[in-house]
Amino acid sequence: MALANQHSRPPLWRDAAVIKWLVQIAVFVVVVGALWFLANVAGTNLADKGFEVNYDFLEGPANIQLGEGIDTVPDTAGRAVWSGMANTLRIAGAGILVSTILGVLVGLARLSSNWLANKVGSVFVETLRNIPVLVQIILWFAIISSLGALTNAESEAGESGPIPGWLYISQKGLSIPRIFYADGFYQFMALLLLLCIPIWFINGSLKAKRDREGGESIAGRVTFGLFLLAAAVAWFANPIMAFLESPLYAIEDLWRSIPQAVMQIVLTAIAAGAAVDFIRRFLNSRRTPAGLAKLTDDDYFRMIFAAVGAMIAALVVWVMWPGLSSWIINSGGDFWGWFGDKFGTDVDGGTRGNRPLDAMKPAINEGRFSNFAPTGLTMTIAFASLFFGLVFYTASFIAEIVRGGVLAVAKGQTEAAAALGLSRSQALRKVILPQAFRIVMPPLGNQYLNLTKNTSLAIAVGYSDVVQVGQTVFNKNNQVLAVLSIWAAFYLVCSLTISFVVNKINARLAIVER
Amino acid sequence: MSDAIALPPETVEALATANQAPDKPIKDPVQWAKENLFSTVGNTIQTILFTALLVFILRWLLGLIVSEERDWTAVTTNIRLLFTYNYPGSQYGRIWFSFGAMLTTAMFTVVAFGLRPMVALRKILINTAGLGAFLVLVSVLAPTESFPLRILLAGVVLVAIGAGLLVAIPNAHERMVSFWQMLVGLAVICLIATWLVPWGNNTFANGEVTQIAGTIKASTKNWLTLMVGVTLASFFAARALLAVVPDRVLKGIMLVWWLLGPAFLIFLVLRDPSFDWGYVLSVDIPIALGFGLGGAALLYFLSTPGNESLARTAGLVVLGIGVLTFVLAFRGDLSMLQKVRLSILALGFAALLAPTFSGESRVRMRFALGWLGFILITHWLITGINTPSTLDIAAPPFLGGFMIPLTLGYYVMLASFPMGILMALARTSDMPLFRVMATTYIEGVRGVPLIVILFFFDNLLNLFLPSGMSISKLGGIFVGYTLFSAAYMAENIRGGLQAVRRGQFEASDALGLTTLQRTVFIILPQALRVSIPNLVGQAIATFKETSLVAIIGAFDLLNVARNSIPNQPAFLGHALAPLLFISAVYWVVAYSMSRASRSLETKLGVGAR
Repeated sequence: MALANQHSRPPLWRDAAVIKWLVQIAVFVVVVGALWFLANVAGTNLADKGFEVNYDFLEGPANIQLGEGIDTVPDTAGRAVWSGMANTLRIAGAGILVSTILGVLVGLARLSSNWLANKVGSVFVETLRNIPVLVQIILWFAIISSLGALTNAESEAGESGPIPGWLYISQKGLSIPRIFYADGFYQFMALLLLLCIPIWFINGSLKAKRDREGGESIAGRVTFGLFLLAAAVAWFANPIMAFLESPLYAIEDLWRSIPQAVMQIVLTAIAAGAAVDFIRRFLNSRRTPAGLAKLTDDDYFRMIFAAVGAMIAALVVWVMWPGLSSWIINSGGDFWGWFGDKFGTDVDGGTRGNRPLDAMKPAINEGRFSNFAPTGLTMTIAFASLFFGLVFYTASFIAEIVRGGVLAVAKGQTEAAAALGLSRSQALRKVILPQAFRIVMPPLGNQYLNLTKNTSLAIAVGYSDVVQVGQTVFNKNNQVLAVLSIWAAFYLVCSLTISFVVNKINARLAIVER
Repeated sequence: MSDAIALPPETVEALATANQAPDKPIKDPVQWAKENLFSTVGNTIQTILFTALLVFILRWLLGLIVSEERDWTAVTTNIRLLFTYNYPGSQYGRIWFSFGAMLTTAMFTVVAFGLRPMVALRKILINTAGLGAFLVLVSVLAPTESFPLRILLAGVVLVAIGAGLLVAIPNAHERMVSFWQMLVGLAVICLIATWLVPWGNNTFANGEVTQIAGTIKASTKNWLTLMVGVTLASFFAARALLAVVPDRVLKGIMLVWWLLGPAFLIFLVLRDPSFDWGYVLSVDIPIALGFGLGGAALLYFLSTPGNESLARTAGLVVLGIGVLTFVLAFRGDLSMLQKVRLSILALGFAALLAPTFSGESRVRMRFALGWLGFILITHWLITGINTPSTLDIAAPPFLGGFMIPLTLGYYVMLASFPMGILMALARTSDMPLFRVMATTYIEGVRGVPLIVILFFFDNLLNLFLPSGMSISKLGGIFVGYTLFSAAYMAENIRGGLQAVRRGQFEASDALGLTTLQRTVFIILPQALRVSIPNLVGQAIATFKETSLVAIIGAFDLLNVARNSIPNQPAFLGHALAPLLFISAVYWVVAYSMSRASRSLETKLGVGAR
């Protein structure tokens, strides 16, 4: 009876698989229908107002002045948004770097056996993470605005800055000496890279020797010393790399002579190759000793997705955007030309100096509204308040993550390291921190994501990030929807990039289990 | 998997406290300093370094607070604006009533859940002396023109009291202070602060600030005293009640009140809708009762074992009718109250759910009563929202200042909770289409900053509504924030779902439960229990991030402090004092929320499995 029933399928309306698919499709249709309905309503409403959503404004004149960034007086609105994006990335990068350093320091202070360090760390964390980041940013803005004004000359009674000529802090922000790349930088780097090749081999052989014979290792110290020596040599001897100028220009000419069709074929081949490679690897990962494992819907979906992706790429290259190939050819040529300019004995307007790096002291431009001169490294008030707000807020979370990570490494690990005769610092370096790092990495990545997204609060203090610039743009032309889509796409790309990098690091750190 | 590794702060705390030794008796201060501050060379260097850092930072912070340019009257005269914005002063009793209700809720919760912490007398005394020492430090470091003698004196007195009692009471570290003793002590301190300390009071009228010496204003004083009385009375009343009623019942009542209390306070107390009672009695109440009682009877019948296929058929039919009413309404063929249509739809879904709850009559009765409660509450809310307010407010909306973080945070969490559960289930389900949709939504929303979403809903929500419909600014913000919060909620709940062990699924399958029964009765309760710490963390984050509505232009605490007060003629440009003040307000609320939740979690053992 039971056996007989096993083979007869249930009626269609009671078949679990059929019902599941029906429900899914029904819900999908309802969701898509609702979205379509909303879009339709919006379309009607826009049409009633005689308004059309398009991206033409990006080509139009900007009439915007940015507070700071790569281009403060952009020609087009597109260029302005682009500058805003660069500003966002600038503050996100700086914020991630500094908040990580500060967070690790505070986290270690909280782990310290010193009572005072411990308490200072706790108060830092408990205070800063319980005040909204926007309030902190605006508070910093108010604090900096309440500082003294920038007075003109150093000779005057109200001399500016805590250390005149080196550090200025005022209500306009703060300015410190700036180190920048000078003429010889690229020649210096080229020579240094060249000298690093033998050092790398020496390091390898020293390590191999240590592994063979045991004993104290001097590989690290020797390599570091040699590297410093190479840097010193390169600092003075960099003009000998000037000969690279003509080969680089030759590459530029070669690059520019590539026909567009060839570039299109190459791009298509890359896309197809990537898809084929992905599918091949994927199938390999599903292969077991007993043969290919049974593939689920999801697996097929992934493979189809890869193939469709390649096809879309080909379509883009050949039909939708043929200009892409010539753009790549031109930009490649530009890049090699630009690279060639960095070498040689001549630089426009004279002979090339051989100093790789140079520095300048901050100064004040006098006038009716005195301001910082561009010679120093200047943090404007908008940048400074956003930066301090984000860094202190994020650091308080990173400190907790670091503390949790170290505490989560089992106590047995410390004891085992001690039993092996490792010193405290060795145990920390080789046993505790590598394991803590693995625990810390995913939440740390989350904090980096949060910091990047929180840079959008720039609008509250007038820092010209992508949101602030975008808002200025849509206030002028009403293209709210278009600007919103640009914002969303930009932040999505940033988030995906950060999570991709963090996932890669995670995968490398993960314990390999059998 | 990455979520499983991400340690919530509460876990970190638990790990840290697990390593600490239990309370030790008092030690010689010199001995203590030797052990904790100067045990090794490195330790000594750290002590010196951190002392320097502390002195530097403290001096700078004190400079911010006591500077001659800081006008704290900007805060004291604008307390009402900061907390309640434009709420009419004549109706202020309502605010106090709500505040009293919140205090009562807190006291009843403390009693019902048995959260009456005992604190060692020693700890209180040491903290008193520590506070005194801090005040002395402040008086020494504060960069003021004249030496702050009063602060120094207060500090010295506190140190004397703390240290003196510590020495005078022989077994201070064994004595415990119970919760009610602390409560009475706090009440006495509050009363002294209200009635005896000469704070002075400021009024702001016609651009002029008048300062009156003496204690705070009589109207405030009376209300504050009443609040102290309410707190004490409700604590003892709750204790007396606990002796009569089993704590299980009290806990249940408290949970329901936590969910509904704020809505009640906002709609019936703060907003005071002007109900047209004739209409309410003749239309609203009959509809609600009809749907509630009729639906309950129907569902009780449909959930009888054996009626499964009937329930499904009936559910589909009712659902079809519900959809039809909407379709007809859009064509303009059928005029009907919106809540009737929504109720028909809800009844259809409930009928489809009926087989899940089929079983003993007790279970079925609970299901039917759940429906009745749902209908009564939703109808009350819908009626309450749609009735105009009687309050005459100078510049609507009636919500502003500190009320925005509180109410917006509460409603956003409440509304995003069911959405979050649904999306977490969809994302972990084995149905590919659901998974793809949920993943797209969650990752898409999480990849975009909140401010972008708020801009969208503030500027464009009305664009997506059919002509004739519109939504207020706060309404738009609420919708956008809820949709945003739901994605994060879904991720938190998904973490809990992944912590439920495989065996639980298999065991419920072996018992022959349907997928829905398995999810509702077996998986979700366990998953939600695990994700409580993360959800509390999200609640705190939601509360803090409501400050973003200031950028959109709602007059919340931040916007009042940053824009309204510095634009008053008497306080032109004085933004720093109000900003420091609201930072303290946010800090107090967020910090006490996290402390309370931590103690609740350890008490109930949630979050751990």
